[in-house]
Amino acid sequence: MLYQIVRKEILENLMSLRFTLSLVLTVSLFAASSFVFVDDHRDQLQQYWQKTNQNLSGFREQSAQLYKLAFYDYDIYRQPKLLALCAGGFEESLPGHFTFDAFSTNLPQLAGQSNFTLPRFTNLDWVFIVSLIFSFIAFVLAYDSICGEREKGTLRLILAGSTPRATVLLGKYLGLMLTLGIPLLLGLLVSLIIVIASKVDVVSPALWIRILGIVALSFLYISIFVFLGLFISARTTRSSISMASLLLVWVVLIILIPSLGRLISDRLQRSPTPEEFGRAKAEASRRVEDDMSAGKFGERAGTQTPNPKECNPPARARYANAEADAENRVIEDHHNKMITQAVVGRNLTCISPAVIYQRTSEAIAGVGINHCVNIYQQIKQYQVQLKEYIRDRDREDPDSLHLLFDDENSVAEWNAISKRPVSFDSVPKFQEQDLALGQSLKLAIWDIGLLALFNLVFFTASFVSFLRYDVR
Amino acid sequence: MKERESGMIWKIAKKEFLLNLMTFKFAVGTILCVVLIAVFVPVLANDYQQRLQKYSQQVTNNEAKLRQVKAYRVLTPTLFRRPQVLSVFSQGLEKRLGDSAKIGFGIIPDFDMIPEINAGPAELNPYLSIFSTFDVLLIFKIVISALALLVAYDVVSGEKEQGTLSLTLSNRVARAHILMGKLLAGALTLAVPTTVAFIVGLLLLLGFPSIDLQASDWARIGIMYIASLAFVLAVYNVGLLFSCLTKSSALALVLGLFFWVLAIVVIPNGSVYLARRIHRVPDVETRNEQIESVRGQLRHEWSEKHNELPQGGGAYAAEGPFGGRGHWYIIVCDPAEAEYWKKGASLEMSLNSKYGRKLWEVEHAYVEGLLMQTQLARSIGMISPTCLYDNIMSALAGTNMADFQAWIASAGTYRQTILAYIRNKTDDLRDLSYITQSTEAERIAWAKGGEFSKGAVQAASEHTLPLNLEDLPRFTYSTGVTEGLRRGAADLILLFVFNIVFFSLSFAAFQKYDAR
Repeated sequence: MLYQIVRKEILENLMSLRFTLSLVLTVSLFAASSFVFVDDHRDQLQQYWQKTNQNLSGFREQSAQLYKLAFYDYDIYRQPKLLALCAGGFEESLPGHFTFDAFSTNLPQLAGQSNFTLPRFTNLDWVFIVSLIFSFIAFVLAYDSICGEREKGTLRLILAGSTPRATVLLGKYLGLMLTLGIPLLLGLLVSLIIVIASKVDVVSPALWIRILGIVALSFLYISIFVFLGLFISARTTRSSISMASLLLVWVVLIILIPSLGRLISDRLQRSPTPEEFGRAKAEASRRVEDDMSAGKFGERAGTQTPNPKECNPPARARYANAEADAENRVIEDHHNKMITQAVVGRNLTCISPAVIYQRTSEAIAGVGINHCVNIYQQIKQYQVQLKEYIRDRDREDPDSLHLLFDDENSVAEWNAISKRPVSFDSVPKFQEQDLALGQSLKLAIWDIGLLALFNLVFFTASFVSFLRYDVR
Repeated sequence: MKERESGMIWKIAKKEFLLNLMTFKFAVGTILCVVLIAVFVPVLANDYQQRLQKYSQQVTNNEAKLRQVKAYRVLTPTLFRRPQVLSVFSQGLEKRLGDSAKIGFGIIPDFDMIPEINAGPAELNPYLSIFSTFDVLLIFKIVISALALLVAYDVVSGEKEQGTLSLTLSNRVARAHILMGKLLAGALTLAVPTTVAFIVGLLLLLGFPSIDLQASDWARIGIMYIASLAFVLAVYNVGLLFSCLTKSSALALVLGLFFWVLAIVVIPNGSVYLARRIHRVPDVETRNEQIESVRGQLRHEWSEKHNELPQGGGAYAAEGPFGGRGHWYIIVCDPAEAEYWKKGASLEMSLNSKYGRKLWEVEHAYVEGLLMQTQLARSIGMISPTCLYDNIMSALAGTNMADFQAWIASAGTYRQTILAYIRNKTDDLRDLSYITQSTEAERIAWAKGGEFSKGAVQAASEHTLPLNLEDLPRFTYSTGVTEGLRRGAADLILLFVFNIVFFSLSFAAFQKYDAR
């Protein structure tokens, strides 16, 4: 019986104009967005590699003298991800240029062709199409599935038989999900074929798993709206009222609530202004200077003349490193505050499944704010690694003072770190690592749970409403 | 006869209007709209108030700094863009674009303070760009337009289904009059939530003490109201057309909804996406390189010309900082040395203005490139009434791109004014107020110790009084209602044309409509 209901629902939907319109709209959107993505991605990759190689060749020159490696201004650009096809994560407008040396990291900057005068730039990625268009289509297909049948009088006929109401509801749900699955899978297929045929990038097995994850997530997300549609349809007696209510629900959930993020961020969590940031930095270095005057780092820690005999190099090194650490702490704190501000706004708009879906897909695709945070952390690790390497190699040089600190002039003049050449191949280089799948899942797991919870709530609601539905 | 016809139109309109008022969708749409306005106008107004406070704070700080200036060449006023009160209605680019510009005449070795205007992004936290904007416009754009569609979809096809259409047409009523009546009814119905929302919003806005609406603001709000009605009616007309084209109201609704999603979601986002592909903007890195190269030229020319200056004949100068960065107080022991420093200052001043101009050109070309892309996105979006409405509202609120461009242009003009003012004040760009001849005692002390005592520098800096900048030309910038209207006029006319075209189409479709 279930099979028959599902089959009837699908066939009926397939014949309807709304299905045809949805199919045309979504497949053409998928195709258009993939063409643009391929074009864009190719350019971005080319620029990324050009900038990365330029940076590396600069780094190679420094290997002529070991100490110079520590003072090289590294330029790192965020690596363009193939999975931006699925979830762009607004990366175009997020900072993507990181500069650092072995001692300190600057705040990330905007890079490339970002345009701050554009209204918020939304990638027409899978997430956009699914979260806005498919949720809408789910409502358009589901609004009359119960009350429409009541109006036509067919609901009575079905229920007059021995079919339990639960089976009817399940049949309708499956019918709708399968109907929605057709444009979704077709669109995804078209999109993937375009990207693979263009040979713009290699789709590795790990990426396939992530893509499958996003597809599964999309079904979970669409399912919420199907249940919600069935619920409202089972609460109303006329399909026009059902549609009006669903449209308003859609407007609130998909458009209004996600737009509140900025307002919430501005109200609840302030990030310091550039002036305050500057003051905090000055304050931090003044405190270290006070410590130095109090003799905390040893005698003559502040003296820096070209002759190391006149100074106290170990004290000077301790002082310089303490200063760099203090400044780093301020910068990192500022960066964390900025991230928190954005995250707070987003967390509080999570009443909308669209925001949760966006956040989860970003986590699985490894893009968006988490990508920026991740690069920032990797840079910190790399700095440690680089310093470790320099100290290791420095031990081989008996003439060196073996003191690595953040003052290029003194290090050079005092021979605090070896000036011997090193083989560039042995120098660790920064290479951005994708977040492991397990870690991505860890980021996403709560959100997946939330989406499942939404499903459960609306399933229960639609089930109860339908059991009590008056078919007359 | 004529009277009877108009009477008929009015009768139909009245009946439709009253029927609409009783519907569930109307009640929900209106209540949602009013509730949203009532909740968010205070929040948005509060946000504006905070920005205004920050603005006045910044202006006061800038004034205080100017009062302490002791030398013309360290006169670096900062200009601030006043937040627009109507940004509550349409935030536009208000929070995205830079709201300050610094005009500097720094000392050459610093290089980063030469006269240039920074017009970068206002965003203190770039990570916030994941959010879209929220303003009153959004509520109108989405909620009332959805309501317009829900009101319109069954006006013709619904009556056909009920069978009342053939009854109406069996009387001696022209089809044109029926459709006119329905249009009037739609306009009246939708005017109710729009008007209520405007009134509630304005009442709440006026409750804020620091929000003071001028006559020009009221005029702009009036035009915003008209534009809102025109927009809502445009969506209604689209719904009407679909209703006249289809036999069943469900079909009309589905078609209307697809149009709505295209107009509200797909086109506004797609146009930005497309514009980015069609018009490429320059890289940030390229701009930075250009700026670096101009600075390199400046450094080069400076060192070349500075070396040519006659040296001060073996006498020395000592410097001591006063009053912040770039303020150096110089005591010279020898008149020839004073001459050397004066010439250096003069050279600096002329190089500063020359290269400042070049740097500004680089910066300006970059920002113009970005704005061109934005303009293209807007032009592509004009096929959707939502984008037209968006443009009109931001033009009227003074938060759109043209407003930003005008502000930058007037900042550029002001920079020229300041330059002219300084030229006028100090003869031949030489600024004597910070170079003084030392006393004989100081000279002897210096010759012994090789350094001026701290007290001498301090005393010298203290006896120089801050400049009298009473007559310094002040920066003023304001947009009136005429500019706003001029910037939004094309879009407003297009919106009216959109209305007329869709109503004519539904008119044509209704003439041939099969009422059976």
